[in-house]
Amino acid sequence: MRASDLQSDLPVVRRDTTALDAARLIAATHLAGLVVADDSGTPLAVVSAVDVLALMLPGYLLDDVSLAGVFDERAAEELWGHAGDHSIGELLDDEHVHVNDLLKVDADATIVEVAALMTDARAQVAQVRGEPGAPAMFLTLSTVMDAILTFCAPLDGPPTA
Amino acid sequence: MSVQIILALAVFVGAYVLIATEKVPRITVALVGAALMVIIGATDDHGIFFSENSGIDWNVIFLLLGMMIIVGILQQTGVFEFLAIWAAKRARGRPFIIMVMLVVITAVLSAFLDNVTTVLLIAPVTLLICERLAIPAIPFLIAEVMASNIGGTATLIGDPPNIIIASRGGLSFNDFVVNLAPIIAILLVVFIGLCWLMFRKQLTYDAARVERVMELNEREAIRDVPLLVKALIVLGLVLAGFVLHSVIHLAPAIVALLGAGLLVLITRLETRKIFADVEWETLLFFAGLFIMVGSLVNLGVIAMVGQAATQAVGSNYFGAAGGLLFGSAVFSGIVDNIPYVATLAPLTNDLVQSGGSPAQPLWWALALGADLGGNATAIGASANVVVLGIAKRNGQPISFWTFTKYGLIVTAVTVTLCLPYLWLRYFL
Repeated sequence: MRASDLQSDLPVVRRDTTALDAARLIAATHLAGLVVADDSGTPLAVVSAVDVLALMLPGYLLDDVSLAGVFDERAAEELWGHAGDHSIGELLDDEHVHVNDLLKVDADATIVEVAALMTDARAQVAQVRGEPGAPAMFLTLSTVMDAILTFCAPLDGPPTA
Repeated sequence: MSVQIILALAVFVGAYVLIATEKVPRITVALVGAALMVIIGATDDHGIFFSENSGIDWNVIFLLLGMMIIVGILQQTGVFEFLAIWAAKRARGRPFIIMVMLVVITAVLSAFLDNVTTVLLIAPVTLLICERLAIPAIPFLIAEVMASNIGGTATLIGDPPNIIIASRGGLSFNDFVVNLAPIIAILLVVFIGLCWLMFRKQLTYDAARVERVMELNEREAIRDVPLLVKALIVLGLVLAGFVLHSVIHLAPAIVALLGAGLLVLITRLETRKIFADVEWETLLFFAGLFIMVGSLVNLGVIAMVGQAATQAVGSNYFGAAGGLLFGSAVFSGIVDNIPYVATLAPLTNDLVQSGGSPAQPLWWALALGADLGGNATAIGASANVVVLGIAKRNGQPISFWTFTKYGLIVTAVTVTLCLPYLWLRYFL
């Protein structure tokens, strides 16, 4: 099994995508990270879902987590009114946020090579190198894990936590 | 003047310029500068590690390390956030009263914690309170960081330059409290008046928003009550150790290290959490600075300048104190006050040694000028830079000139008031 056998297309976001739109995308697709493309549509980075979640919170709660408990329910609900104020570009520009460069793997890479490269880069998503001009194709962590599991002994019962 | 001295001075001045311009990380500059001093033969391993006059001041390094561990654990308790929200609720949402309470809390905390830690704790909760009240946080953040620089001047452990001054001058915790705390208390009252004049137009009261502050539950900010109790007990013991120096004869660094050790022992936190707030880079920066300044001591440069200064001052110690006060304030507004004080401390020591008791107030002039001068510009103190970063991240950017506009007023007033204090107290 090669990378090209597992690749699929993914939605991409841009710098000006709001945190709210990015969150909707994550909620709909269950992706662990989103691919960010530049103005020409070329994929260049991956932001993690947890960083998008952080973008929806007020900055002072990230600076001091102990403040999160002081809100009552109404105040907590009010906070989400500002969740869409920020854009993905802010994540890319924030030196405190680690944004992964987009990992690229060869189309003929084996599943072991893909798994090792993704682990080494701590990447949630990797781009599969394709023909020039061809649409960008990707591998996600869940796709790779699904593929690995096909080589493992089947479970006797349902998975346990 | 020998080639060695010329080279050492070139390294020292070059390092100073690079630290001031922040083109290169300051720790890199200090360590490379220290290495160059060794290469040109201005110091050696014995001088660096074992000389009390020209080596690394281990008292300073280990006092900072001990306090960083204690404060790092204490700040995990949430007590500072509790205090700030409690104060805002006691003020019933009135902005200026909240500002006064936060300024006082910040100044008092800063006397016992380092300024950067204090503002890191107080700024996020300030942003929360201001958001609840729908008022701009910028006046509060500026007032707090300035209060932090003022309050930190009051004690030996409040500001790193004071730690250097204490070690070089052989001054105790009580010496700082007795000589600096009175003027700092006065300056704090004056500063609150200045806050009213500078910020009152931006502090609008909206009765409808008050409920949003009153609904905050400050008790939820305290995450670990047993940890809080243990940390407060140890901090109390450490402060008692500082105050009782003349009885127990333990140096502040030893007291802080014993306190840190005790806290580590009784809290049994993970190593990662214990050392999370230790700024190793800052400690290495200090070490590099001490090596560079120590090299100039070794080569006799500091003694030469000290002699010239002693001759120039003669017996006019009030004039010298005034010069040191205002000169230090101007310098500290432009460059980091830590390298400045690290350089000036041995010089001041020479003046005090040759002048005896009448020259002793020079230490207080140096501390007041260097610490209060940090308020002058947005880059005058590390705490200022940290608050500007927090404000920017939270969508309320404070420009260099916005800060400096207020900073120059506050510095001019506070430093000028120190002059009559020095005169009345030591030279009348």
